[in-house]
Amino acid sequence: MWTVEAIRSRILRAPAEPAQTDAPLVRPISFEPAVAPLYAGLVRRLVVVLGDADEAQDVAQDAYLQAFRAWERFDGSDVRAWLYTIALRLAFNQLRRRRRWLAAIRRIEPKPWHDPVDPDLWAALEDLDPQSRSALLLNVVDGYTQTEIAEMLSVPVGTVSSWISRGRARLREVLTPRAGT
Amino acid sequence: MNDERDLKDRLTAIEGRAPAFEPPPLAARRRRPLALSLAAATLLVLVVATTAVAGVAVVSGMVRGYPGIENPGQPLAGATMECMSPPQAAAYLAAHGFTDVVWQVESGGPGKPDGSTTLVSTPPAHGYVVPGAILDDGKPHMIVDQRPGATGTGVCSGMPMP
Repeated sequence: MWTVEAIRSRILRAPAEPAQTDAPLVRPISFEPAVAPLYAGLVRRLVVVLGDADEAQDVAQDAYLQAFRAWERFDGSDVRAWLYTIALRLAFNQLRRRRRWLAAIRRIEPKPWHDPVDPDLWAALEDLDPQSRSALLLNVVDGYTQTEIAEMLSVPVGTVSSWISRGRARLREVLTPRAGT
Repeated sequence: MNDERDLKDRLTAIEGRAPAFEPPPLAARRRRPLALSLAAATLLVLVVATTAVAGVAVVSGMVRGYPGIENPGQPLAGATMECMSPPQAAAYLAAHGFTDVVWQVESGGPGKPDGSTTLVSTPPAHGYVVPGAILDDGKPHMIVDQRPGATGTGVCSGMPMP
């Protein structure tokens, strides 16, 4: 399991005690109890978004390290949304970087994950790009509004709206026949 | 509305079936093949460096030099055997305790065709003596140059072939 001591040992500068400012940040609980229970769910989300279990684990671990470094700046509101925001932004950035790098050295060895139970819906999801997939999941599964998702993914609301409508349209093609059965 | 509910349920179910992992201890943080390659590259650099050092040591051993038998500090320093005929050099060597000598006779032309180099235990009758060295077998290895156009070496270079 993650331990704060282990993470501290990995980074050179551990965060100091809460800074004394005019508007002190609200941090009701410490880092580990707040984020550790979210790990499995985050990896699952990243597997669905990225379609690769190895990639998902790497991004999740990097996200936890980034989250630990940024813990002092967390406003204490919605830790899950905050963590998912870090992870998804990281996923998109790393995806771009890694694809360029792997393509350059011809070492593209994806280990794709496929859902065996609902292959039609999974295939439709796979047709979407990772950004559209993540926006759709944040909206449909988590219930975030398009404005909230736009903030999380740092893109205009119109872009999110386009991703979600395109995603819904694609999924609807496989959704209707099954809904009727 | 039913579609919306169905979509949410099915997406949630897919996500629930996706593999999840316990957070690993940082010490055992797993890496992708790319990172593995980087680690392997470091190891490879070490291996190459080690091999290079070992290679230099081996090659150095292979091309190990032997001091000439007439060099300063060697048993026959200053003997000038290059001015002797091979039988004279053999007698000189024997007088100094070296009765078992390997004679390398060079008799080929400039291109040194096959068979132009022979190793014999008795000195040939004539030829320029090129003082050799005492090798690992403890024997002096002497060269006799009988090639056309040979001129000899050392202080007696240019004299008629003995």
